[in-house]
Amino acid sequence: MADVIDNPKTITSDAVEAIVSQHDEPQWLADARRAALQHYLATPLPSNRDERWRYTELGRFSFDGLELLEEPASRQVSERIEMRITDSDAEGVLVLNGPEVIYRDHHIREEGVIFTDLRSAVHQHEELLRAHLYSAIDVRSGKYTALNAALWKNGTFVYVPKDIEVALPLGAFTTADVGGITNRRTLIVVEANAKVTFLDETTSDPFDERLFSNAATEIVLKEGAKLRYVSLQNWGRNVAHINRLRAHLGRDSRLESLTVSLGADAARAEVESRLEGPGAESEMLGLYFADKGQHYNQYTLQHHAADHAFSDLLFKGALRDGSTAVYSGVIVVDEGAQKTDAYQTNRNLLLDTESEAVSIPQLEIGANDVRCSHGSTTSPVPEDQRFYLMSRGLKPEVAEHVLVTGFLYEVMSRVTLPKVAEYVERLVQAKLGVPGVKEKL
Amino acid sequence: MAEVSLEIRNLHARIAEGDTILNGVDLSVPKGEVHALMGPNGSGKSTLAKIIAGDPSYEVTAGDILVDGQSVLELEPDERARTGLYLAFQYPVEVPGVSIANFLRLALNARRDEGDEIGVMEFYQKLQKAIAILGWDESIIERNLHEGFSGGEKKRSEILQLLVLEPKVAILDETDSGLDVDALKTVSQGVNAARGPEFSSLVITHYQRLLNYIVPDVVHVMVDGRVIRSGPKELAVDLDSKGYDWIREQVGV
Repeated sequence: MADVIDNPKTITSDAVEAIVSQHDEPQWLADARRAALQHYLATPLPSNRDERWRYTELGRFSFDGLELLEEPASRQVSERIEMRITDSDAEGVLVLNGPEVIYRDHHIREEGVIFTDLRSAVHQHEELLRAHLYSAIDVRSGKYTALNAALWKNGTFVYVPKDIEVALPLGAFTTADVGGITNRRTLIVVEANAKVTFLDETTSDPFDERLFSNAATEIVLKEGAKLRYVSLQNWGRNVAHINRLRAHLGRDSRLESLTVSLGADAARAEVESRLEGPGAESEMLGLYFADKGQHYNQYTLQHHAADHAFSDLLFKGALRDGSTAVYSGVIVVDEGAQKTDAYQTNRNLLLDTESEAVSIPQLEIGANDVRCSHGSTTSPVPEDQRFYLMSRGLKPEVAEHVLVTGFLYEVMSRVTLPKVAEYVERLVQAKLGVPGVKEKL
Repeated sequence: MAEVSLEIRNLHARIAEGDTILNGVDLSVPKGEVHALMGPNGSGKSTLAKIIAGDPSYEVTAGDILVDGQSVLELEPDERARTGLYLAFQYPVEVPGVSIANFLRLALNARRDEGDEIGVMEFYQKLQKAIAILGWDESIIERNLHEGFSGGEKKRSEILQLLVLEPKVAILDETDSGLDVDALKTVSQGVNAARGPEFSSLVITHYQRLLNYIVPDVVHVMVDGRVIRSGPKELAVDLDSKGYDWIREQVGV
């Protein structure tokens, strides 16, 4: 039986043409959108037979009853986001509600740095976009990917010129207040020996309708470029979230990525690094804590296309109250990518017997002089630890807080942004219900 | 007769759905006294310690455990701790990501009402006092709980916690094992500092050596899951020179 293509009726070439004409988009972009739409229409929804989507609870990423989101309900910056802006120390801030920029603030001191919404960048920085947009993510690689490529309305564009080091983070804070399908796209280009930190946060107060947030993030790192990228997903529980992140790393460049999943009903993070130049380094950290039936899904790729590159991945997550998590990750070492150093670890902590985690680490090695390892564990809370903590008088729920914090510490201790680490820790504690800890300060 | 702080009555216990380990232990520690519990390997000493603290991997099949005259059998480990029981573990676990200071603050606050959390000054004074008794460096409290600790440091941490939490009844499960003489003296100093009219302790050990530093009021001898002999502190010295077979013969087991 063929897969059923459940296609919202607004996703048509008319929708693409409307965007193209409304914004007077250049030919190259219009053509790319059209090609992507054709691919989208011709591609079935993912199935569990596909290795990348095995064990994914696909029904939770369905388009059922959803149409493309056009306009947000409000242009007010929520209290939650205001707090984040203040707390993040960012020197450039962009707030998006659905496709609309509702707030921006700039005090970037470094010369030539571009930080704007992707919509504006189409005309203001057309040559840069033409050179880089769709360069890291092939528009024909998957249903959701093609959808985003065809119908993105807005997102963020970051460009850091050669040799420039941006001292403070740049932050895009995305929210939503109406249901539907939204396609957000982010493009980050860091030129040779430049350096920047980018915070990509998604958060929303709960509202009644369902939202499907289908995001794509392209990262291009030139020779010696350095990027710290943080994806902090803290949507309300009425949201299904996908973020496909793919980075191309040039010679001696370094990417430190952190993917945090705490909100949404179901969230899928795809984190892919293609190490294209010798000496490139990709550190990929992931942290998730699922409760009350949430489903977290992660697919990772460490693709060593060049020799002498390094990648190290650590994804850790805790689960409780009948939650589920899937981790599927692969290290690919191309023929000739000698002296590759590649590591991959996924660990899950199950806080009850109703929760489940599946972990599928894989290696595809085409070179013979490499150091690669992969491993995964899924285990319940160690009873001896629980007993020890309780023997000091800690109530069971407090003991659990301590154990979860302790379990996630291996990831947290490697986060080089103290403010981000503090906030993530607070979010985890608030979710755990630690007395006196609230998400909003 | 003095008030009894810890009383074990005819305690029978086994590994949950497994082998029987305790075969009717009777033992009581009056308030303000320190008793030693000695016995050969496998006699059930450490099991007794864990059962008193409420380790869920064991099952009590008969008998009772009382603290200040109240049975604690039905209480969870944390509830037992809050009644004033403390177990210094033979093998303390490592918990990464939680500093000793934060952990002890949580433990102290668990004994207080919500809204009545311990003040910062009071907390640090308590900590500093305990650290000083153990001759430790203050930076220790910022280290993660037992992460990368040596065996001796872990034992010292157990006594640090005892000094800060100020339990009424402390069980010390082979706190001396693996310690050199200097560490043994330090740890004993800590326990002796806790001694007083309101403090009772059961010190479990293999060796008489520890009892030179922590002098017990009474020595109990455990063999095959029962206390077969109790006597004055000299009993430990006899045991050390004559061995457990001597006592087995004496009592005819």
